[in-house]
Amino acid sequence: MAVMQTTALALAVLGAALLLGGLLSGLDRRLTARLQSRQGPPFTQPFFDVIKLLAKERMVTNPWQAFSPLATLSAAACALLLFAWQGDLLVILFVHMAGGVFLVLGAMASPSPYSQIAGQRELWQMLCCETLLFVMAGALYLTTGSFRVSGAAALGEPLLYRLPLLFAAFLLALTVKMRKSPFDLAGCHHAHQELVRGVFTEYVGPHLGLLEIAHWLEVVLYLAICSLFWATGPWGMILLPLTAFLAVIVLDNVSARLTWRWMLGWGWGAAFVLSAVNLFWLKG
Amino acid sequence: MTIQPGLTGSIFFLSITGSSMTEAILVVLIIVPFFAALACLLIRSTACRACIVIATAAMLAVSSLLLQGPLAPDAGLRWAGLIDPLITGCDFLLLAVMFYLGCRYRHPLIVLLTAGQLGLFVRLEFFVFAKDRGHALFQVDVLSLTLVRVVCLVGGLICLHAIPYMQAHEQHQNPARSRQPQFFALLLLFLGAMNGLVLTNHLAHFYFFFELTTLCSFLLIGHDRSKEAMDNALTALWMNGLGGLLLLFAIQGLYGQSAMLDMTGLAAATAGNQAALLPLSLLLLAAFTKSAQLPWQRWLLGAMVAPTPTSALLHSSTMVKAGVYLALRFAPAFAHTLLAQGLMLAGGFTFLAAAALAIGQRNAKKVLAYSTISNLGLIFACAGIGTPAAVAAAMLLILFHAVSKGLLFLCVGTAEQQVHSRDIEVLRGLCARMPLTGMIAVLAVLTLIVPPFGMLLGKWLVFEAGADHLVFYLMLVLGSSFTLLYWVRLAGTLLASGQVEGFKPERQPLLSRFPLVALACGAVVLALGAPILYGRLLPGGQTWSAGRGGVLTTAVGSFPLDVLFAVAALLGLLALFGVSRAMAGRKAFPYLAGANTRLPDHFVGPMNRPVRAMVENSYLAPFFGEERWTLWVNLAAAGFLLVMLGGALWQ
Amino acid sequence: MGLIDKLISTARRSSPWLLHFDCGSCNGCDIETLACLTPVYDVERFGVVNVGNPKHADILLVTGTVNLRNREVLAVLYEQMPEPKVVVAIGACGLSGGIFREAPNVVGGVDKVIPVDVYVPGCPARPEAIIDGVVLALEKFRGKALAVL
Repeated sequence: MAVMQTTALALAVLGAALLLGGLLSGLDRRLTARLQSRQGPPFTQPFFDVIKLLAKERMVTNPWQAFSPLATLSAAACALLLFAWQGDLLVILFVHMAGGVFLVLGAMASPSPYSQIAGQRELWQMLCCETLLFVMAGALYLTTGSFRVSGAAALGEPLLYRLPLLFAAFLLALTVKMRKSPFDLAGCHHAHQELVRGVFTEYVGPHLGLLEIAHWLEVVLYLAICSLFWATGPWGMILLPLTAFLAVIVLDNVSARLTWRWMLGWGWGAAFVLSAVNLFWLKG
Repeated sequence: MTIQPGLTGSIFFLSITGSSMTEAILVVLIIVPFFAALACLLIRSTACRACIVIATAAMLAVSSLLLQGPLAPDAGLRWAGLIDPLITGCDFLLLAVMFYLGCRYRHPLIVLLTAGQLGLFVRLEFFVFAKDRGHALFQVDVLSLTLVRVVCLVGGLICLHAIPYMQAHEQHQNPARSRQPQFFALLLLFLGAMNGLVLTNHLAHFYFFFELTTLCSFLLIGHDRSKEAMDNALTALWMNGLGGLLLLFAIQGLYGQSAMLDMTGLAAATAGNQAALLPLSLLLLAAFTKSAQLPWQRWLLGAMVAPTPTSALLHSSTMVKAGVYLALRFAPAFAHTLLAQGLMLAGGFTFLAAAALAIGQRNAKKVLAYSTISNLGLIFACAGIGTPAAVAAAMLLILFHAVSKGLLFLCVGTAEQQVHSRDIEVLRGLCARMPLTGMIAVLAVLTLIVPPFGMLLGKWLVFEAGADHLVFYLMLVLGSSFTLLYWVRLAGTLLASGQVEGFKPERQPLLSRFPLVALACGAVVLALGAPILYGRLLPGGQTWSAGRGGVLTTAVGSFPLDVLFAVAALLGLLALFGVSRAMAGRKAFPYLAGANTRLPDHFVGPMNRPVRAMVENSYLAPFFGEERWTLWVNLAAAGFLLVMLGGALWQ
Repeated sequence: MGLIDKLISTARRSSPWLLHFDCGSCNGCDIETLACLTPVYDVERFGVVNVGNPKHADILLVTGTVNLRNREVLAVLYEQMPEPKVVVAIGACGLSGGIFREAPNVVGGVDKVIPVDVYVPGCPARPEAIIDGVVLALEKFRGKALAVL
């Protein structure tokens, strides 16, 4: 019976995350439209999009295009559930990374040049962001003495006080992971015809729908990791991620969109150095 | 999951059969391959030779599984009077052969190194070492057992795969006289030498087996007798010869400190002894050359010209593991010293730099070689960290790396025989041309980078063990990200193919297919059994509770292995359903801006002719290229080694 | 089952993703089409997204006469779109070839290559007319067979 209870709880958590992820995505589109002097779609638009996609005809060039969305979605859901169960942050990041691996494999399984090049770029993006997230896990260990997510709440003071530079690096990783910038990453929300649709080019209908849902869950996961920076109470854990989310959208709309070369060079370089400096200062 | 049943079982086993059973198994593991090698050399019939190889592989596999430790303190002692002089004599013969090879190929460095080894060996053997040997000649503990099983099981499967591979290889090369007898003789001899290396307790005997593997490597790399092969074989000979010389200096130093040649006793006796740190650091340098760590990686990269069974057996699964075995065996001797910290940093730097160099590589076998060097660096770093958890992580990494990397080498080698190129771009779309080999290769790559498989479990353990040392942790994080990049790129390139009709496995000889499938299944099953393995690998009385509810819990984190496997199994079921439904639908063509032709990856080009849409991977040679960065990386690695030596001298 | 059918039908009409293809137009109709995406008309409030990928599109907006060079491309793009899909032909050229009807390389109208559901006349067609045409095309989704989830 414990299995039944756990399963029911897990499904409830996933359902709530889906709802939250979809609404956040709708908020994103609406806010972006308002910042661009437009009205924008309703908040529930992402749900309509996904339902429409799930009801479309299935077409694949390669069986991996059917497998990868399932794998990515499973990885995103598993990582989120592990977080909800206060698991080990390293394991959460490894599982989430596996989702990215399958996404790239699915993209590279098609011979279309658009999805091939986009796969390469997606790998560069993973290189940057995964590094920064793992450094953050190391910071969690240094400050709380364990890799468990629950350690951040038990600390007593917000992690943000001790890890300000690391938070700046995390915001950069969040911008890239939310597919806002760089614009030629392919799959970017705004330059949404860059390399046609980047890694998502060859996915059709239900498979694209599953990938969209996986993206929602991943954004919820990143915001959950963001909440670790102010884990002292429920208000901090809600307001900080929300502020970060809105800040990323606003910043993205008011500044130039950058290229993947910038991301690899300045973005990653500077962020990594900032994080390392923060950690050394913390240790010393 | 406790180790009690296993211990009780082995004690019971030994008590009813006595130590004579164990000695019989040791004889099978070490001596029988020598005779089998001789038989291969003399018997000219291909079918008989194949039978000998299969029988030997099977015998070795079964014996390695039957072998149990620990041994009695006087194990093998009654044979000491016979073994000692035999090995000393063979050692002289070996060094004489290497000296002759140096003279014949006019390689002054080999001549010098071998002469040095001969001189030092004569001095040690006749003027320094005392005559009495009161210690066990063999030891079987967890470390040896892991390596013996890797050598016999993975090595046996590779030998099976080699039988049809070498036939096709010689058909392609068409030499005047078949050299297959020599090849298989050397493979079997090598298996015996590796078994001897990990099972012996006597440092001088260890040196003999160490040098024997060097000679086997030289002969196997130079198998094709082309100029390129001989050049690379000579490079391997001199670099490993340098390792042998360093090892002899280390043995001299250690004997001078403790008057012992008993490996397990020595590791315990020299712990905390400051003066022993210098010989230990020389020992580690010898291990570095054997494992092709930076800056000695050149010989391993050059060794990739050898036929695939050589690369799979020697240069990824077993011989290069001799170096890490040495480091792990002596890890208690230098634990918690500056030398250990230096080792950790040097290993971490190799992990990072080799992974970075692999990103810029187009040659598939060289990518695998760099990846091997990188993983070995990680295992050395574990030996440097020295905590029980780190040592357990090292052994898990050795096991899973050997299985997955050996499998990957076999797949790439099989593919190379079909396409006659090692360039990753030529291997593009392998899954369409050779579905089974390609799919197994992709699975092998996935077992190396994705949870819940064993390599990732080992890596997670290293992350947790190394998180206290900030510089090392940052190297780990960077190296791990680089590793992900080149693996996913390789797997993606293999997958890239047009419309796939259905899964029709290509025709392959049984002896080629069986090892591939067996190793693939082994990688998955062993990963499932990781909690049991982990429980066996740690000495009793530790602070880690393994395997409760399928979650590996440590003081600072937890790995929910069973949950992840359950998710993977569920995903597999969903995938079967989803993929079959998707394939039943309308077939799609890749998007080529509407200019598709009937061929899946061709578009309508100039003059209405079909043009193939060609894309290559980005290797970013200016940033990760071997030509540009090898010198700087070697200089940095030498710097780290100097730091390590400095740590040994200054304390 | 009726509830799911209604949900899918609503979703299809609320999330029209369109592919805009220029089949040899003078670009007049194209400019008017793209103007619909600007803040003045803002069709994104209806959930319209201009995807450049037939595999993601529900509606194919075709401008221009079809000529001998691009009729295969038009056919391939239409084939690559998954069901359910609708086609909207825009402008006089798209309807029948417009003033270029008699040129030697002109096929003359989109419906000579692929089945068209909605015709939007004009030269160029006004943005309001194009939006009306898209909304009319969406009504076609009510009658389309539902793909099983």
